[in-house]
Amino acid sequence: MPTRRTLMTSALALGAMHLFPRLGAAQARLLVFATFTGSWEEAHKDVLVPAFRKATGADMVLDPMLSVDQIAKVKASLSNPPIDVMLHDPGPALVAIDQGLVEPYPVAESKHYADLITEAQIPTGPAPFFQVVGLTYNPDRVKTPPTSWADLWKPEYKGRVGITNLNSTLGTGFLVEIARMHGGSEANVDAGFQAIKALKPNIAAVAANPGQLATLYQQGQVEIGPGNFNAIQILKARGVPVEFVSPKEGAIAFKTTIHIVKNSPNKELAFKLIEAALSPEVQAKLMGSPYLIVPTNSKVKMTGEVAKVLASSVEDLKKKFVFQDWTTINKQRASWIERFNREIA
Amino acid sequence: MATRSIAAYELKLAVPLAGFFVLFFIAPLLILFYVSLQTDTGTSLAQYARFLLDPFSLGVLGRTLWLGVEVTALCLLLGFPLAWAYVRGPRWLQPVLILVVLLPLLTSVVVRTFAWIVILGRQGIVNSALVSLGLIDTPLRLLYTEGGVIVALAQVQMPLMVLPLITALSRIDPNMDDASAALGAGAWRGFWRITVPLSLPGIIAGCMLTYAAAITAFITQSLVGGGQMLFMPMYIYQQATALQNWPFAAAISIVFLAAVLAVVSVFNALGRLSRAHA
Repeated sequence: MPTRRTLMTSALALGAMHLFPRLGAAQARLLVFATFTGSWEEAHKDVLVPAFRKATGADMVLDPMLSVDQIAKVKASLSNPPIDVMLHDPGPALVAIDQGLVEPYPVAESKHYADLITEAQIPTGPAPFFQVVGLTYNPDRVKTPPTSWADLWKPEYKGRVGITNLNSTLGTGFLVEIARMHGGSEANVDAGFQAIKALKPNIAAVAANPGQLATLYQQGQVEIGPGNFNAIQILKARGVPVEFVSPKEGAIAFKTTIHIVKNSPNKELAFKLIEAALSPEVQAKLMGSPYLIVPTNSKVKMTGEVAKVLASSVEDLKKKFVFQDWTTINKQRASWIERFNREIA
Repeated sequence: MATRSIAAYELKLAVPLAGFFVLFFIAPLLILFYVSLQTDTGTSLAQYARFLLDPFSLGVLGRTLWLGVEVTALCLLLGFPLAWAYVRGPRWLQPVLILVVLLPLLTSVVVRTFAWIVILGRQGIVNSALVSLGLIDTPLRLLYTEGGVIVALAQVQMPLMVLPLITALSRIDPNMDDASAALGAGAWRGFWRITVPLSLPGIIAGCMLTYAAAITAFITQSLVGGGQMLFMPMYIYQQATALQNWPFAAAISIVFLAAVLAVVSVFNALGRLSRAHA
């Protein structure tokens, strides 16, 4: 006959097992892919996950979060990571690689790696797509479409320009591009800081992050500035008056890389997921409407909005996209953020 | 046989909560402190030196603490009459007022903060009204200013001020007012000599809650303040996530915690003083 005490003990044990499911035998868990939040999650849920299921017959979980949060989570439990596949902007990718959080990609076994555009072939984790930053403007308020980054400094845009601070890839990439325009480089962004200081009268807002910058177009707080191609498409789809143009200096392209997490218990499935993400079938679908994600597999033919606004072919893409040297950028990023805090804020 | 003390029994009942705090508050805090001592070369107080010897960092700390003072003052100034109206106003007004006070608590901080962006924006309610009244030609810059942050924070944190004030004010016997009037004190004198001292515990509790909430309000500070205004919560976030500099972020957090504890203990001392006075 169970006494009150034994009942209590079993209840506690049950409770503990509920709170910490891993207390039981080391059960196999599903593959976990930490994609980005928002439109990326939607695109991956609609296209990549079904493709993975078809290829492997296995199920998987999407756990969308920011790059920096992925790193924090993996770092906190490196021997038994809660994530199998990470997705990173160039800056965080280098941090993850430096801290030994990623497994090198098994390039020799890959079917699609050799087909990738050279810029996307990265042995620590290939790039399944590019993110592109160009000029964004509100066509209702800005009548002549801008053509160059330099247009942002025009006196007519006094109090109308929106930028972000250097916490984001967008803000950092913009600073480097502006520095280059004024004779600087990734190694020396002094000219960029001078230019942003000179931009101050035109600045309506320094947003805390790219998501906030996008909402400022919606509220009419800002009317022109640097913007992410994919973020702008989402706003456009919601009926916000925004347009994207590639400046004549070239649009800034970020390699978004996908990585197998070190010590992942699902390495084989992780590899298969990444293979699916690199495959021309998945990339072609993701390039279509409404996702408009820029492909990296050279076998994918550029079509639709991506071909119209960004690049019509791989050759065109190589000509029009500007890739930045993030290894050099990352070494100085801390001091730049510090400097931005002091000089611009 | 010794009689069982009632107090001992009560202490035992607090053990689960104490265990919870030790596990989920004290232990992480100790880990945070340990992380803050790490440097590239070993263990030292270098992260603290870096913060405390840097005028820019101290400026961020000072601005954050001062922001709290401004928000708390505004909350007290606007909240006291509200609490007074609730306690001394007509009976039918009370449910209306309590709804007005509690309503902000029922919506998320993010939603409330976004509402302020809509109100303060270039084409927001305030600017549109001023432009259509012909008072200004070009929209004023309200968003991304310290004034904007103070106003938004004051609204967001208002319930934390008003609720303790209502409790304190409703404990005061209304006969006190009549007594002071009968003894010849004017309305102002009665207010300063009777009502304020007796409601002091509520004022101090309200100020403490509002202050602590205002200086740590990451969401409102960053959304209404924007990327140009740097307060302590954003500074910590920047170092911890954007730069992955955990030791320095941990050191900033500990310094911030110590600064907040110092301010709170000043409030506490004022509270003890007021009790001794009353």
